[in-house]
Amino acid sequence: MTSADRTESTERTPGRTRRAQDERPEGAGRTNGDERADGIEPTAGAESMTGPVAAEQPAAPEPSGRVRSRRRRKPLADVLTYGVLVVAALLTIGPFALSFMTAFKSPAQFASEPSLNPPDPVTTENFARLFGGDYGFVSPIAVTAQVVAVILVGQLAFSIMAAYAFAKLRFAYRDTLFWVYLATLMIPQVVIVIPLYAMMVQSGMRNTFWALVLPFMFGSPYAVFLLREHFRGIPDDLIDAARIDGAGDWRILWQIVVPLSRGIISTLAIITVVSHWNNFMWPLIITTGRDWQVITVATANLQSQYNANWTLVMAATTVAMAPLLIMFALFQRTIVNSISLTGFK
Amino acid sequence: MPTSRVQRSPVRMRHGRLAGVLLAPSLFGLAAFLVFPILVVLWLSLNRWDLLTPMRFVGLDNYFDVLTDPTFGNSMLRTVIFVVLVIPLQVALGLFMAVLLTRGLPGSGLFRVIYVIPWICAPLALGVVWKWILAPYDGALNNVLGIGVEWLSNPALAMPAVAGVTIWSQVGYTTLFFFAGLVAIPEQVIEAAQLDGADGWRIFWQIKLPLLGPTLFFVLVTGVISAFQAFDQIYALTPNGGPQGTTDVIASRIYLEAFQGGFNLGRASVMALVLFVILVIITLVQQRFFAQRITYDLS
Repeated sequence: MTSADRTESTERTPGRTRRAQDERPEGAGRTNGDERADGIEPTAGAESMTGPVAAEQPAAPEPSGRVRSRRRRKPLADVLTYGVLVVAALLTIGPFALSFMTAFKSPAQFASEPSLNPPDPVTTENFARLFGGDYGFVSPIAVTAQVVAVILVGQLAFSIMAAYAFAKLRFAYRDTLFWVYLATLMIPQVVIVIPLYAMMVQSGMRNTFWALVLPFMFGSPYAVFLLREHFRGIPDDLIDAARIDGAGDWRILWQIVVPLSRGIISTLAIITVVSHWNNFMWPLIITTGRDWQVITVATANLQSQYNANWTLVMAATTVAMAPLLIMFALFQRTIVNSISLTGFK
Repeated sequence: MPTSRVQRSPVRMRHGRLAGVLLAPSLFGLAAFLVFPILVVLWLSLNRWDLLTPMRFVGLDNYFDVLTDPTFGNSMLRTVIFVVLVIPLQVALGLFMAVLLTRGLPGSGLFRVIYVIPWICAPLALGVVWKWILAPYDGALNNVLGIGVEWLSNPALAMPAVAGVTIWSQVGYTTLFFFAGLVAIPEQVIEAAQLDGADGWRIFWQIKLPLLGPTLFFVLVTGVISAFQAFDQIYALTPNGGPQGTTDVIASRIYLEAFQGGFNLGRASVMALVLFVILVIITLVQQRFFAQRITYDLS
């Protein structure tokens, strides 16, 4: 995309200037810090409602999200602020640190020493017991990974397709249909688990892999909504140009629109992985026994069966949380920005 | 938000079929796994069914049954208590931390990342971790404090403990939203107020807070909606409704009714519908305030 394209699209939609800029796809002159652009989104919404002052003066927060200091430094206030920030950080990390430490302690040390003592010696026996022998924690990890993978691919592909139709095609009842998609956002999982359970029982799919993935793999209305917003920011001229060059709709979608939307798509991918790795209620209800137990259900069962065996249980929670924590460490900036973008659940 | 730009060009005339193909999978998913279940739950609510014996149509019996059932009344009460304990503290703490972060001290970015960590983890796993921390004899909290409080089995303490864990895991996420809102306030506005002689306290209450209104409202409503559905961490901390049913919130009651207490699917369906109506009302109220940007707030 040339800058001329961009300018043109901006001019054509004066009311959406900011949006067009925000949605400027990566690779089109995005500088490093521009990742932040995604994070501005809800703020932009908030801003539009804060009255004339805010509207006249579109704020341009620094790309990194850091705030330039607005006032003269006040040493005492700074020290107090740091104090509170540090205490809050310790309170946040504390339970994680304690549980990881406990996971690496021997049951004997756990029973005889204070909780705050570090593991001595560091032992992996809890993990060895967890993965070997009776507890069989390998299977839940494999099942969860497969469930997440299938849901991720399905949800992204089908949501992208629907969003493209809503954003760039003209067809009868488009807006009505989109409204229906939006309305289904109001349906919470806890309300439909009972009928879904009944449906799965009646169709003989209870306690199968398909019961775990089918309800989620056909796309999510929320993803469709977010993607549609983004796709609308892609200039029609670009698509028309590709069409004139002989590209079909399918190719336009996957080779032009999708690459231009990597930012929002990776945001959605993270959302999907996190919410389905962590999903608990539906797998708890629809699976029985070990075959299709996911990691959260396995952890809950382990805890209720071996209540007093906390070193083993903390090894299980460590295993359940580790993959997402590692993902978080790798992509923390994108994830932090994703959250402010989407308020995802 | 402006309605979609209408672009008329000859190449865009044959979109109906393509749109059909593109929409088919998600439409199927939506119809089969979101809309149809709503019809099924309505039907189930009119029947008595335990999955084993044949379904029996009982009309509105389940409704009378559930709505006059003190157990259900208790669940509604517990849910409200949970929401009332969690939301104000979560919002106030989140706002407070966001204000501290916007002071722009070096390292604020790192703190921001740290605060979000609990939020990325499975509520179930966090619940299990806290179950150990709060355990009476070998739990970390009692161990550190040198006391022997039964945090989770004392009826007076179970709900505050469950609410506390929920707040702990949500504050960072709330902080992020307020942070984004505060950063968006134009510096000129603040500077103008400073020129007029307003001090920091006054600037916060009379300028920043009103400008944060939409963010505040968004956080409140989404927070309330998700608190009404809280299940995972409560299940982990206090299974079976907690001591004397003190943490038997509505999601927990629905689960117990349908899957642990003799499979009363009809009664559980009624409870699910009551919850649904409550959530729809909250969402609609919210829409009235956010007419322009409905959908960011629906999640």
